[in-house]
Amino acid sequence: APVFLRPASARATALTVASLLGEDKPETKVWRRIGARLEQRLPGRFRFRIVTNGALGGEKDVADGARLGSIQASLSTVSTLSAWVPELQLLDLPFLFRDADHLRRVVSGPIGHGLKQRLAENGFVVPDFIDYGARHLLAKEAVTRPDQLQGKTMRVIQSPLHTKLWSAFGAVPVGIPITETYNALATGVADAMDLTASAYAGFKLYEVLPYLTKTAHIRSSGVIFFAESFWNSLTEEERAIVTEVSAEAALYFNTLMRQDEAASLELAQANGGTVLEPEALGAWQEGARTVWMAFQEVVGGPQVIETVRDTA
Amino acid sequence: MAAAIEAALSTFAATVLAALLALVLGSVTLRYLFSTGLVGAEVAGLWLFLLLVALGMPLAASGPLSMRLDILVKLLPQRLRLLAGVAADSVTVLAALTLLLGGIDAAGLMGSTSVVLGLPDWLRPAALAAGGALLMALLLLRRVAEGCGLPVLLSVLVGAGVYALPVDYAASWPPSLVALMLAGIGLLFGAPLAHCLLAAAALAVPFGSALLLPALVTNAASGLSRFLLLAIPFFLLAGGLLTISGAAERLVRLAASLVGHRRAGLAQTTLLTSLLFSGASGSSVANAAFGAGTFYPQLVRNGYPPAQAGAVIAATSVLDNVIPPSIAFLLLAAATDLSVGALLLGGAYAGLVMAACLAVAIHLVHRRTDPMPRVTGQERRSALLAALPALGLVLVVVGGIRIGLVTPTEAAALAAGYALLLAVAHRSGRASLWSTFRQSAIEAAAIGLLIGAAAPMTFLLAVDDVAGMVTGFVTSLGGQAVVVLLLCNLVLLTTGLVLDIGAAILLLAPILLPAAVAAGIDPIAFGVILVVNLMIGGVTPPVGILIFVVSGLTGVEAPKLFRAVTPYLAALLVALLLLCLAALVL
Ligand code: NA
Ligand code: NA
Repeated sequence: APVFLRPASARATALTVASLLGEDKPETKVWRRIGARLEQRLPGRFRFRIVTNGALGGEKDVADGARLGSIQASLSTVSTLSAWVPELQLLDLPFLFRDADHLRRVVSGPIGHGLKQRLAENGFVVPDFIDYGARHLLAKEAVTRPDQLQGKTMRVIQSPLHTKLWSAFGAVPVGIPITETYNALATGVADAMDLTASAYAGFKLYEVLPYLTKTAHIRSSGVIFFAESFWNSLTEEERAIVTEVSAEAALYFNTLMRQDEAASLELAQANGGTVLEPEALGAWQEGARTVWMAFQEVVGGPQVIETVRDTA
Repeated sequence: MAAAIEAALSTFAATVLAALLALVLGSVTLRYLFSTGLVGAEVAGLWLFLLLVALGMPLAASGPLSMRLDILVKLLPQRLRLLAGVAADSVTVLAALTLLLGGIDAAGLMGSTSVVLGLPDWLRPAALAAGGALLMALLLLRRVAEGCGLPVLLSVLVGAGVYALPVDYAASWPPSLVALMLAGIGLLFGAPLAHCLLAAAALAVPFGSALLLPALVTNAASGLSRFLLLAIPFFLLAGGLLTISGAAERLVRLAASLVGHRRAGLAQTTLLTSLLFSGASGSSVANAAFGAGTFYPQLVRNGYPPAQAGAVIAATSVLDNVIPPSIAFLLLAAATDLSVGALLLGGAYAGLVMAACLAVAIHLVHRRTDPMPRVTGQERRSALLAALPALGLVLVVVGGIRIGLVTPTEAAALAAGYALLLAVAHRSGRASLWSTFRQSAIEAAAIGLLIGAAAPMTFLLAVDDVAGMVTGFVTSLGGQAVVVLLLCNLVLLTTGLVLDIGAAILLLAPILLPAAVAAGIDPIAFGVILVVNLMIGGVTPPVGILIFVVSGLTGVEAPKLFRAVTPYLAALLVALLLLCLAALVL
């Protein structure tokens, strides 16, 4: 390789951070917070370049960039990082986590610790997990029971876990990029999809999918991560400070997200959206079980799923 | 040897394109006929497209698809021209080495597995590495076959030498600026645009660029891995198949029966046919090629001076990328996350305004050409009937997207499938079908490579926050919409002079759009204006891709065409002015 391929550690203070959304969103605010706090604790040590609005690419591109040295830090959903650590799909298993607190306890405990370790082995240093909020079912017509999904065309994330879940309810999956989703649903390529409440309001999807059913089937969880190459350039003391600041920021992010979720649901309802409670919870969970069965080996065995369920 | 490799590569690329078409059509069929989906069809399609680009890039390195700015080089005396050739080949060597070595490094570092396909992700940079190796090999073989063994050896030495240069410059300039300047220098030597972009991004590393080579290659790979972009090969294919199916000629007959009897009837027919063709094809280059093949002989036979005939064809083919479907809008949507549907609708209005302005210009320019005889209502009806299958294609594409049966990418695949049926029904021979697949595959690879090559540059521009600087500058001027629009138009028209449309969209849209939005301009309206601006660049010197295509196919020299196209250029600028006024008022 040419000589200039060697990473120049003298420049390590410059820190390129990728954010998928704009300045006013929790995804960017969390990095402004981390930047400001680190400036207080370690003045002049880092120069943050926070690149917003997904200008550096999607989540997978950013994660690749972290491994290849072009990006030093970002947030990521665990779904994307499961390309390296398949066990992370445990956190995406449907109807496994009762609520935000349940998820928080699991990722703060031994399971979360093990996942962080697996991520570190793959070049992603994770100070803490974050919670993007629950994914809910969105539809053109009211859908509260799973049998109502039979034969409906559903926009799904292109991932076996999601496809399996909705196929279990008899829906026909179709892959549509998120930017085309509004159009596709307005014109009828799809009848339903699932998304967090914040994104539902953010993309104004209530205009085309007026019914939100609070299934909360998947808690969309993620991480704050730093690239290993960046991490290795820090002293032991600096690492401790960055970890502490980031962990505090993770809680800040979760709070922002919760506020955003509540505001989003209100906004949707004020604009003609209807929020419904799911019925026949047993039937929903029945469908989810097929996903658990299919993924139990990937996530580390049925006992891991049991441990999560038993976590108070 | 070179020819044998080229033949093998183009066959392989055509096969990949056929597989891609089968995949997307299969996925739509499954959904509607069997109420089930094909898991991972999208991702598989993206991988196939990447493979297509890797296979096709060595083939697209020569000819009009290479997008070389060679007008300046041609002015040089013979000996200097040879030196410029060596320099241009060195740029290609640099780009090939970047793909090869960066791709190999990236393949070793990725470590992830595609969750959907279950295949290791290292295959993607590895494909580009293989493409780089093939690019280099074909360059050497071609030059040796041309008797330029010594110069190409020099190019390799220069390229490899620059590549391995053990330097680390203090970074006082933003790396993105350095990269842009380096790309500009390569372009002046007459190197292919995509190679200039890749080589420049690689050479920016010692100037402090954050994008080390492995990251550069994965960045290029992900730049061209966007589902929307899959529509590009399909629209190219649809345009090619439409031509060999004879359906295009029926469109001509219909247009002639409608406007042929007017003043400059044949030229007006060219315009109307181009408009109809635009509704089914997404590529202005395909439109120009079609017009040059279909209309040029007829126009000349009917007393139009050759340069005039070529100018009408080049100017009317601008419409293709404005009227839906449009590759330019697909690129814009991919670069900025604007909605394709909304952009296409805006493009439809803009295209009609432009067509009206062109019709007036043709009317004024061709005072002395005779109209064609007026046809009877009976003939008109039969022309319409004969053209129905071709018009059906418009329905499939525009209707499919608007009614919402399919996504834009699927609509493109349906259009290609439909045109394939037309071609088969017309008994187009297997050979001509296959050669259309080859041609479309190579064109798609050329566009794909350009999209991929622009990605590292956009990354560098984003890290340096050039968009923020532009918005800041514009705001400091007061930020009135009219001022911003005027400035953007100037920037875009200037860029359109030298830069290819696709690359310009990818590089400029993310920079200018935030400034326009900050000034209160509707993003969709601005997107349409941006594309119209850059499309006009297709007929302006020194780099006017539409003029080059027409020149290449008709043999009329490009400078003569540039002169003859002036009145139509004026008409298009009037259309642009009208669109800008509409954006400000509405
Ligand atoms: Na078109
Ligand atoms: Na031009």
